Amino acid sequence: MGKLESVSRRSFLISTTVVGGGFAIGLQWTPSQAAGETAKDEPWAKAAAGSEFTPWISIAPDSTVTVRCAMPEIGNGVFTQSAMTVAEELHVDWSKIKVEYAPPLRNFLEKSVYTEAGGMMGYFSGRSTTAERIQLGLQLGAGARERLKAAAAAQWKVPVAEITTANSILTHTASGRTLKYGEVAAKAATVKLDKEPTPKPRSEWTLLGKATPSKLQNPAVVNGTAVYGMDIRLPGMVYAALRQAPAQGGSIKSLDASIARKMPGVLAVVTVDPKESAGFSDPKLQAPFGLEMCTAQNAVAVIATHYWQARKALDAVRIEWDDGAGAQWKTTETMNEAARALLDSKDLKVEKTEGDISSIDKQDKIIEGFYHTPYCDQAPMEPLNGTALVTPDSVEVWHPSQHSQQAFMVAAHETGLSPEKVVFHQTYVGGGFGRRVFGDDVRMVVAIARKYPGKPVHVIWSREESMRQGRYRAIVATNLRTGLDKTGYPVAVHGKYAIGSVGGTAGFHDTPYAFNKNFKVEGTKVPFNILSGAYRGPGYNSHAFITETFVDECAHAAGIDPLTYRLKLLEGYSDLGWVMCLKEAASKAGWGKSLPKGMGMGIAISNWAGNGKPQAGTTVATVATVEVSKAGKLKIHQLDVAFDTGGFLNRDAVVTEMVGGSIFGLNMALNENLTVRNGRVVEGNYDEYPMLRMGDTPTKINIHFGGLSGHERFCEPGEPPAGVAGPAVGNAIFAATGKRIRSMPFRLHDISWT
Amino acid sequence: MSVTLKINGQTHTVDADEDTPLLWVLRDHLGMTGTKYGCGIAQCGACTVHLDGAAARSCQIPVSALAGAEVTTIEGLSQNSDHPLQKVWVENNVPQCGYCQTGMIMAASALLKQVPHPTDAEIDMAVDNICRCGTYPRVRAAIHQAAEKLSS
Repeated sequence: MGKLESVSRRSFLISTTVVGGGFAIGLQWTPSQAAGETAKDEPWAKAAAGSEFTPWISIAPDSTVTVRCAMPEIGNGVFTQSAMTVAEELHVDWSKIKVEYAPPLRNFLEKSVYTEAGGMMGYFSGRSTTAERIQLGLQLGAGARERLKAAAAAQWKVPVAEITTANSILTHTASGRTLKYGEVAAKAATVKLDKEPTPKPRSEWTLLGKATPSKLQNPAVVNGTAVYGMDIRLPGMVYAALRQAPAQGGSIKSLDASIARKMPGVLAVVTVDPKESAGFSDPKLQAPFGLEMCTAQNAVAVIATHYWQARKALDAVRIEWDDGAGAQWKTTETMNEAARALLDSKDLKVEKTEGDISSIDKQDKIIEGFYHTPYCDQAPMEPLNGTALVTPDSVEVWHPSQHSQQAFMVAAHETGLSPEKVVFHQTYVGGGFGRRVFGDDVRMVVAIARKYPGKPVHVIWSREESMRQGRYRAIVATNLRTGLDKTGYPVAVHGKYAIGSVGGTAGFHDTPYAFNKNFKVEGTKVPFNILSGAYRGPGYNSHAFITETFVDECAHAAGIDPLTYRLKLLEGYSDLGWVMCLKEAASKAGWGKSLPKGMGMGIAISNWAGNGKPQAGTTVATVATVEVSKAGKLKIHQLDVAFDTGGFLNRDAVVTEMVGGSIFGLNMALNENLTVRNGRVVEGNYDEYPMLRMGDTPTKINIHFGGLSGHERFCEPGEPPAGVAGPAVGNAIFAATGKRIRSMPFRLHDISWT
Repeated sequence: MSVTLKINGQTHTVDADEDTPLLWVLRDHLGMTGTKYGCGIAQCGACTVHLDGAAARSCQIPVSALAGAEVTTIEGLSQNSDHPLQKVWVENNVPQCGYCQTGMIMAASALLKQVPHPTDAEIDMAVDNICRCGTYPRVRAAIHQAAEKLSS
């Protein structure tokens, strides 16, 4: 609280200078004339009209309340959550509230005004519902409300305590007078309070946890006016199509663009070389997520009047590539073998060791399994893209980032300009899932635009380019080993892994199962040329599958019901959410009921973001009910999902994320698989990288609320369900057929039975 | 080449290379960005428009093949975003990231014109668009709800 109050007070100081001095500060983030043109379609591009109470809130004369949001809206509803949190204290007419993006430039110029409380300007991992962000939003709402009341009290010459607020209206009941918020907003914004108000306690909330508004951007989404990165249109804008070295890390050996240059509409053929990235203007500058994950790739781009012309001409550019070190990886199999071979290495790095694992070999029953997960692409529906206008002393960017602060700094780093010269416009984002976090895409956009200065260059990755130039979910190879005691439970577990190369072992190393008392986890990274990155539930999306499949194998080997087995392994664990989730999902699914031959139920549970701590992160248990035909065709009849996020702030938002995350997890487990030939990713589009469609999706995905522990946190719902849908289905396939699936994607396994 | 197109009841003349897909003519030449690029190979359905009333994937239709055809895009689906599908979509909070949703709505509206009360199977067949966020259960429910509204 203390910290927030001080932030709030300082913000008010700044806001008074803004209000007093017109747009003296505002000018620095006022978009260029070009952006002004797009502002017609892009409500967040212009500084909000009206009086600024703090950098987070303005109220216009027509009572429109604008809340600024430091996180990109990638479909999780952060705009709506930000508005709801403020509205809880500000008592607004919901139809008069709007949200716009907080500009990273202002954050830079005004000493982290948008990041000091609540953290980075990125969207991932439930960043709209952390305790700090909720407290901030409530404080902002309460602060604005009390200033409105003080202004009204001064105008009416009545005590502040006699004024009430509701629906964006101030009322003095005794005299029957009312004022709309907008009518006193200008005065209210200058009010100095002796003390910031204290937001009401959680028990008195009327909106949070109760209201379930449709996402604020939905009206614009359904009529096609929502502006994604792809939809930026600027005067004089030209289009670029790009091709990066097909073996990641490769370079251009020779280039012949003579035919392409003569094709209709072609304006230029340019190259990108990572050595040309200018670097920061000041060595003290930093990007929030560092620069290692966003280096430029060698590339060729064709710039043309229209995208189709650029794309056709790109195909006419003759490029001979030097595949570099990547060429050694002839096939996916060679890579998988390389990863697996490392598991026998003596040089594995010990990540975790507890107790003693030597007892494993003394048991009669040894269970050992090798598990594998392949490269996967996040494959958001909006292919990678962005627009940049570079001049000798400025860069302006329009981009669907998952981390606008990172993208802002990457633009500065690529051009060598001081961040003060960088204007970054965040657009709506057509799916992220981790792909747009590190800023390799914005770097390529700016690098290309640098070669064609003075014009806005709209760079579009084709779907094929997007898919083959990913920052993938990494290959994971894992060996797990245990010995079961006389009662059938693991005495200790030894896990060895090789990851190629980004990602940890969340979902495994942080397990609360009892075997964590005698536990060793060790592993290594495999230096493949293929680049990996964040993918919904990084690390966890592989290791929850591996761990929950292994535990299921142990249960079956012991002849114990897999639900009973898990409950026993959780005995004495201080976070009851795990047991509640298991019991809720199981009872709602009808766990234990007899099913016809060829049908089966499987269960899986894990926790994302808790990092092994009780009452932290989100726990999800999923029960899958499946049917497998004798010929091996799989039908998933039903998923029953129970979760513990602590509590929730928007019930419907949690349901949509639980459903969406489960479907994402199903697709990952059943379908997704990228292969490699000579260091190049083979699959380029949805015909080769199949996706679940409506008809493939289980008819019933039931989200149950009985697993909620009621703990005070509001943890994220987006990533956690993706980890457990796959192992629940895999374990159900085993129950139905007796066939154990130890690698993804499941579609490559023969699950026929007789 | 110069091509005359009838889009949302209005006549447009554009100068485009004859093999340019309708998708890019809409987006680049005419600035109608509600029709989305997702895959370019008729797999995902994000670019769905109506061609003479039937759902069509605009990434596969060269502009030269459009003489005399009547094109409807999401911008022309309704006067005030008040097509029953658009209304139930908002009421039911169907979209997540939203990028694929205009294509979904165009596919669904074409279906409802042909089949006023589609079964689940008919919906699955006609609206086989890809959504990475996993909105499918709500999309299907919303189509049923819109069908009810349209017939009442």
